[in-house]
Amino acid sequence: MDSKAMQYVRKLGPLIGLIILFIIISVMNDSFLEFSNLRNLLRQVSINAIIAFGMTFVILTGGIDLSVGSILALSSAFMAQLIVTGTNPELAILIAAGAGLVLGAINGLVITYGRVAPFIATLATMTIYRGATLVFTDGNPISGLTQDPLFHAFGQGDIANIPIPAITMFLAFIILWFILSRTSLGRKTYAVGGSEKVSYIAGIKIDRVKVFAYALTGMLAAIAGAIITSRLNSAQPTAGTGYELDAIAAVVLGGTSLAGGRGHIVGTLIGALIIGTLNNGLNILDVSSFYQQVVKGIVILLAVLADRKKA
Amino acid sequence: MEITMSGIAKAFGSNQVLRDVNITFKKGEVHALMGENGAGKSTLMNILTGIHKADAGTITINGTPRTFPNPREAELNGIAFIHQELNIWPNLTLLENLYLMRPKKNRFGLIDKAAMLKEAEAFCEELGIELPLTAEASTCSVGQQQMTEILRVLMLDAKVVIMDEPSAALTERETATLFSMMRKMKARGVAIVYISHRMEEVFNECDTVTVMRDGHTITTKPIEEITMDEVVRHMVGRSIDEFYPERTTTPGDVVLSVQNLQPKGFKHDISFDLRKGEILGVAGLMGAGRTEIMRAIFGVDDHHGGTITIHGKTLKTKKPEAAIKAGIAFITENRKSEGLILDFSIGSNITLPNLSDVCPSHILKTSKLRTFAETLSTKLGVKTQSIDEPASSLSGGNQQKVVIAKWVGKKPSIIIMDEPTRGIDIGAKRDIYDLMNELTNEGVSIIMVSSELPEVIGMSDRVMVIQEGRVAGILDRQEASPESIMTLATGGV
Amino acid sequence: MKKLLSFLAMAILVIGLVAGCGKSADSGDQKSGTIGFSVSTQNNPFFVSLKNGIEEQAKALGLKVKIVDAQNDPAKQANDISDLLESGVSVLIINPVDSAAISTSVEMANGKNIPVITVDRSADKGTVVAHIASDNVKGGEMAAQLIVDKVGNAAKVGELEGIPGASATRERGQGFHNVADQALTVVSKQSADFDRTKGLNVATNMLQANPDMQAIFAHNDEMALGAIQAAKSAGKDIFIVGFDGTADAEKAVQDGTLAATIAQQPELMGKIAMDTAKKVIGGETVEANIPVDLKVVTK
Repeated sequence: MDSKAMQYVRKLGPLIGLIILFIIISVMNDSFLEFSNLRNLLRQVSINAIIAFGMTFVILTGGIDLSVGSILALSSAFMAQLIVTGTNPELAILIAAGAGLVLGAINGLVITYGRVAPFIATLATMTIYRGATLVFTDGNPISGLTQDPLFHAFGQGDIANIPIPAITMFLAFIILWFILSRTSLGRKTYAVGGSEKVSYIAGIKIDRVKVFAYALTGMLAAIAGAIITSRLNSAQPTAGTGYELDAIAAVVLGGTSLAGGRGHIVGTLIGALIIGTLNNGLNILDVSSFYQQVVKGIVILLAVLADRKKA
Repeated sequence: MEITMSGIAKAFGSNQVLRDVNITFKKGEVHALMGENGAGKSTLMNILTGIHKADAGTITINGTPRTFPNPREAELNGIAFIHQELNIWPNLTLLENLYLMRPKKNRFGLIDKAAMLKEAEAFCEELGIELPLTAEASTCSVGQQQMTEILRVLMLDAKVVIMDEPSAALTERETATLFSMMRKMKARGVAIVYISHRMEEVFNECDTVTVMRDGHTITTKPIEEITMDEVVRHMVGRSIDEFYPERTTTPGDVVLSVQNLQPKGFKHDISFDLRKGEILGVAGLMGAGRTEIMRAIFGVDDHHGGTITIHGKTLKTKKPEAAIKAGIAFITENRKSEGLILDFSIGSNITLPNLSDVCPSHILKTSKLRTFAETLSTKLGVKTQSIDEPASSLSGGNQQKVVIAKWVGKKPSIIIMDEPTRGIDIGAKRDIYDLMNELTNEGVSIIMVSSELPEVIGMSDRVMVIQEGRVAGILDRQEASPESIMTLATGGV
Repeated sequence: MKKLLSFLAMAILVIGLVAGCGKSADSGDQKSGTIGFSVSTQNNPFFVSLKNGIEEQAKALGLKVKIVDAQNDPAKQANDISDLLESGVSVLIINPVDSAAISTSVEMANGKNIPVITVDRSADKGTVVAHIASDNVKGGEMAAQLIVDKVGNAAKVGELEGIPGASATRERGQGFHNVADQALTVVSKQSADFDRTKGLNVATNMLQANPDMQAIFAHNDEMALGAIQAAKSAGKDIFIVGFDGTADAEKAVQDGTLAATIAQQPELMGKIAMDTAKKVIGGETVEANIPVDLKVVTK
């Protein structure tokens, strides 16, 4: 009956879930809560989280982006090739991010001006970008990149004992949180997902809002790709396969509605942490990988069901 | 069949919706049930048909106490409820809809379409209606779908038929058919409960009227013994001497000039002018193309050729953003799907078209936005505890006020209102009329598309009548009468 | 409240599953002497056999082994290995998804002074105490030589390649071409990603395009089994050679549908890996390269 309190519980639901997960795993294995493992966890979460942040924007507009994994692979192959051919590695990261932005913007343009449903459009570009990656790399990983310490640090290093990928993730989070909740662009992102018709009649340039969301997602996927490339010190043509599903799962776990217009990036961060904690915790607990997938699926299902019951 | 409901009470949570309702429906009587939105009419009918259970009170049918566990049971016992949202399967034919729950079978156990068609046609003839029985329901008009549903319950031998705002979505011609059908039903001894906001219909078609307010039945009287003014007074609990406010504005120069505009799919082109401070009423039959013209002007839908000139400047881009920039606001007829984002708070809805005006840096200033939304919400008299409540929590009238508020915030010089008072209660209607007056006094021009003739006549400085996609005529305030408008609207001379 | 209940239900489920797997998570002296094994995938019978070899030998030797599955994703493998290092293992056996990408993980283990043994695929960089693998290049040569011997010189051959870029694809292909480029005519080569269904589709297309094809070499048995189906539907008698020697393939050889498979011995590989790990824990020195025998399986 106390609807304010219920709303609070609802907002905090994913966080409560994460805390319970933490408690259970740390009770069962004491090495989980060790500082070095928490660092390790943050490093692991950062890639999915960064992709999922972009996915949050896309899903808030009522769309979906299946091509993130392929954008990640293509931009990282492109970046690796630049580095191998002598481009400054830091510059290569920036160029790769720009390439991701362009690839994402292409998604957005196909969806808005081409009037293709987001699922279909990004399903197509997912295949195209993956194929382009294989063509570009001839199916081989690109390795032997560079000894540049800054480039290595981007995926492997630490600042003040905090992994740099995690710092990148938090920086992206703060910027995107600001855009989403404190700028008119963020408000319009919600509005477009809430009702495209109302937004159009209210004079919002819905095509621009959508292209922005997809371009942003493409850029973030490329940044995640750069982290993976630095971490593995090679670009894999098959990198990022299936990452779109992990990103969507993080967004949904965080309470964002797939119908658009409702949700927040804070939830997505927690959702990504839940998935990362499950991966890391279940490994630490030595649960068979087959069961791990079952557990992950059940957790997603439970979270969505719990959310549904509240409504 | 005679139904008496006495001492009915019902609460949803802490909200007492019905307190002490006493009402009797008699055989062969058309009984109007009137009241503002939220007065409890629908809840009362839901209790009668078994959708809800009463907390207290009794229902007797022909003297025997009786309640139904669900609407299906009520229908099988001769009490049917035709909701505003029709219970029609759009992908089936009208005939299949009629017989869905009880198909006729031949001796091989197969569905006997011929027999069903024959029976249905006989019924149609008896009621004096024509229906394309073999057409898919989705291809039929709302009126035809509604008649199908009425026909279905009559074929089940319904003794009491409850209709909730049946004429709201009908054209004038369909409404006339509905009334003749009701008279035939009445002659067969069917009791009709008629829920409506439209005063004329009630006074022309009903025998008895019951007015409800705040969960009470205020009065029940034969129609001859009550006047419209009394009904309104009972409904709102106060007297409204003059329902439409007096128009005092004198229209000035032309602010909007539409020349030879041809909306997509139109055979003719449209030309008209709108003057400063004027209310231009737009009348016409349903489907005449009034809404389409407005959508074309605002750039929601496409148009070929023609020019739209605002304050002497021609509108170039066919997009809402261009129309808004030129100073037009558009309140669409579909409040829920085009006017409001129902999930959004009242405040967010009001600020939506105004974000870049209030926060030119594109960085949202929460307190500024809040003040902006609260000022408008108060000015428009939106009844809510807080502007943080979702728009979906508001009644129809208050939702409409929010839609108007968000556009008034843009300080437009021209407001197009498409059916601004459809489906909202009398109190809120009056508020909106007052607001329109106030806006025109400030120099705003309004185009008001409306299907309610009294509203068009009561509020407009001039009335433009649209007939089959062309301007049939423009009438001055003095010339506008129900007769003159209908003559033009139906293509008469 | 329902949300809380749901998460409690989830918590109970996690506990139940962990207990159900019978892998006790109680802390204690397990940290010393535990061996970590990161396997590339479990979607392929070869790696399942490899894992089984490791598990069985661990049981026989009385060692504890923690197993993580990278699901063919090099980034996940990096995560898995850092998890293993966090939970404390004394030796790491890695079956890399990709030789280049695994290097940073190997270096990370090197940094923590945890000895690394690689199995089947090698690591490009980092220090590995031992590498245990079949000689894939030699296997590819054996396959080509077999086709030359049985079908004849300059026979028309199709090649079903593995996942582009995987080291097995590269090495087996290289070995095959070492012989085939001189002695055979390779009329078509296409990737079928080590997958049976894709093998069927790709082989069907190949046979359609090259009706006079006489033999097919598949980089693994799964694709070879797909190719058998393709040949059967095309109504052709094709000399098909697979690679790996999985149970399915050996049965197909017995049935006469598969001409031969170049059998790897994954269980033996796992067993040797475990033996090597035990030696490393015991402080013994081990060979840097431990080849595992391949054998041609024919009827």
